[in-house]
Amino acid sequence: MGDFLTADGLSKRFDGVQAVDSVSFGIRSQEIFGLLGPNGAGKTTTIRMLSTVLAPDGGDVRIGGYSAAREGGEVRKRIGVCPQELALYPELSANDNLIFFGRMAGLSGREAKALAADTLERVGLADRAKDAVRKYSGGMKRRVNIAIALMSRPQLLFLDEPTVGIDPQSRNHIFDTVLALRGEGMTVLYTTHYMEEADRLCDRIGVMDNGRLIALGAPAELKAQVGDPATTTLEEVFLNLTGRSLRD
Amino acid sequence: MSRPLLVALIGVKRFIADRGDLAFGIALPIALFALMTGVFGGEASFSGTAHVANLDGGRAASELLDRLERVDGVSVRRYAKADLDDALDRSAILNGFVIPAGFTASLDAGVPTEVQILRRGNGGDAAQIITAILQGIAADLASESQIRNGVAALAPDAPQARVDATAQRLITDARADPPVRVAMQSLDEDAGGGEDFFSRLLPGMIVMFLLFSITLGAQTIVEERRNGTLERLLATRLRPWELFAGKFLEGVGRGMLQALVFLVLAFTVLRVGGPAAFAQSAALAVLVAAAASALALIIAAVARTQDQASWIAVFATMFMTVFGGTFFPIGDSGALNVLSRFTLNKYAIDAFDGVIDGAATLADRWAEIAIVGGAAVAGLVAARLIFRVSSEGR
Repeated sequence: MGDFLTADGLSKRFDGVQAVDSVSFGIRSQEIFGLLGPNGAGKTTTIRMLSTVLAPDGGDVRIGGYSAAREGGEVRKRIGVCPQELALYPELSANDNLIFFGRMAGLSGREAKALAADTLERVGLADRAKDAVRKYSGGMKRRVNIAIALMSRPQLLFLDEPTVGIDPQSRNHIFDTVLALRGEGMTVLYTTHYMEEADRLCDRIGVMDNGRLIALGAPAELKAQVGDPATTTLEEVFLNLTGRSLRD
Repeated sequence: MSRPLLVALIGVKRFIADRGDLAFGIALPIALFALMTGVFGGEASFSGTAHVANLDGGRAASELLDRLERVDGVSVRRYAKADLDDALDRSAILNGFVIPAGFTASLDAGVPTEVQILRRGNGGDAAQIITAILQGIAADLASESQIRNGVAALAPDAPQARVDATAQRLITDARADPPVRVAMQSLDEDAGGGEDFFSRLLPGMIVMFLLFSITLGAQTIVEERRNGTLERLLATRLRPWELFAGKFLEGVGRGMLQALVFLVLAFTVLRVGGPAAFAQSAALAVLVAAAASALALIIAAVARTQDQASWIAVFATMFMTVFGGTFFPIGDSGALNVLSRFTLNKYAIDAFDGVIDGAATLADRWAEIAIVGGAAVAGLVAARLIFRVSSEGR
């Protein structure tokens, strides 16, 4: 199966710091691709470039055959973005949030309402749909954050650390949702600091450090580079690749 | 519905859903309005009832009661004499007026007559005010009667219709050019005159709160940038200009909510003008809200943090409020006058002057309107350019 996303030589510099340095990789259709790396490795900047929010200094991205640089509108029709932050309106209900972002993604009012109801059901929030999001628990807010990304009916979903700071139940619910989405034909780019999460979910993993992509492969392939894949953990691989020094 | 409008509506909906913003934006203007109205007055809204037993029923008695009823705030309640006495006995009312039988005939004959005032104690403030009003009307009627009788005496053989017409003309002339006038001067006026609650302070408060929306507007956009919703929106099909237009309209909508609170209070409670004045004032408020929204966008484009946005907006608002003549009049020359020319308030308040109480129309204020409108357009263009060159403006 061909690559649905192709990043070719992506680079970005901020105030003299090379945040992303000639990063190239592909994500296959219906694949869950993990992008791992320590803090400041360049993951979020990469996602911002992939999702057309940030223009790269060099390189290009192709999504579904369209260039992000030249055909940004076509690219945006095909993607959904769930940022690291809770990018939602806490004063409004989950339903209002979903409908609004659905309308922004090009849905009609009726389509947005119907899809919002389905999506809230999918993320287990149908019974709290009318409540203001500020009244939700952390896990519920994370699920709304993901649900909003699904309102564009994306072919490619960017999930930037979607399980930060939530309880195991909500985390498991998110895993199940991501796997179900893949089963429905969606391609997913997933970033996380939880190695067991990446090991469990991802078909392939790219490891970034200091703005560069330093490893790429299936979890078993990466483990084999360090030791016996049956006994080696992804965390050991990660520490082996990125070192043990603390990052800010 | 277009996407800019949806962006604006969701912003206004968030404003209404946030109790803190709502209190700042709506409750505070209401409280300040009540306070300022209490301190500076505005139109005194007297209201009282004249309890009357009309034992005459003639032309002059009816004329007297009609004129009394036409006085703003006075209503007339008619009684049979026994009922009036009974109500006074029971202290159900504290004052009563009796027009005696033969009142009209006496007046027409030039014979002294009287209106009897009955009251318990001093009758209350309302009774004293109505008594004074009634005395004025009675004196007018007596004067008019004297004029009619005088004309009739001068031309005893003239037809009655001609006597009436001549008397009426003299009465009309006397009303148009009375020998004694009562002139009122407001102590709130400045040396140049004309600066009072309606012409300056009320418009000043409306403009001030429209400018307060700059702070909320700038903060909202910076907050959206910080929490990721702005970036999330940029990853949808929403085009940057649509987002920009939506945020501009959101600012206008939020400002208009605040302005409408003031305008509705001013036009319903203080009855400053009619529907046409309300419509023109509302149109003017839209223009000022547009200029304020454009300024909020400039601040949002420049500021990187919410604190920066707040401080820049507060400084800009306070500068324009203080030096724009909201709280004190600015002279025609000097440093304050020069400073005031750099404020939106000066032109906005000047534009409202007269329009709000129906004394002037928007056409009379074209120069101020052009300046405020120009500021809105220039601000919008400047904000768009700053956003475009900003690294996050996509």
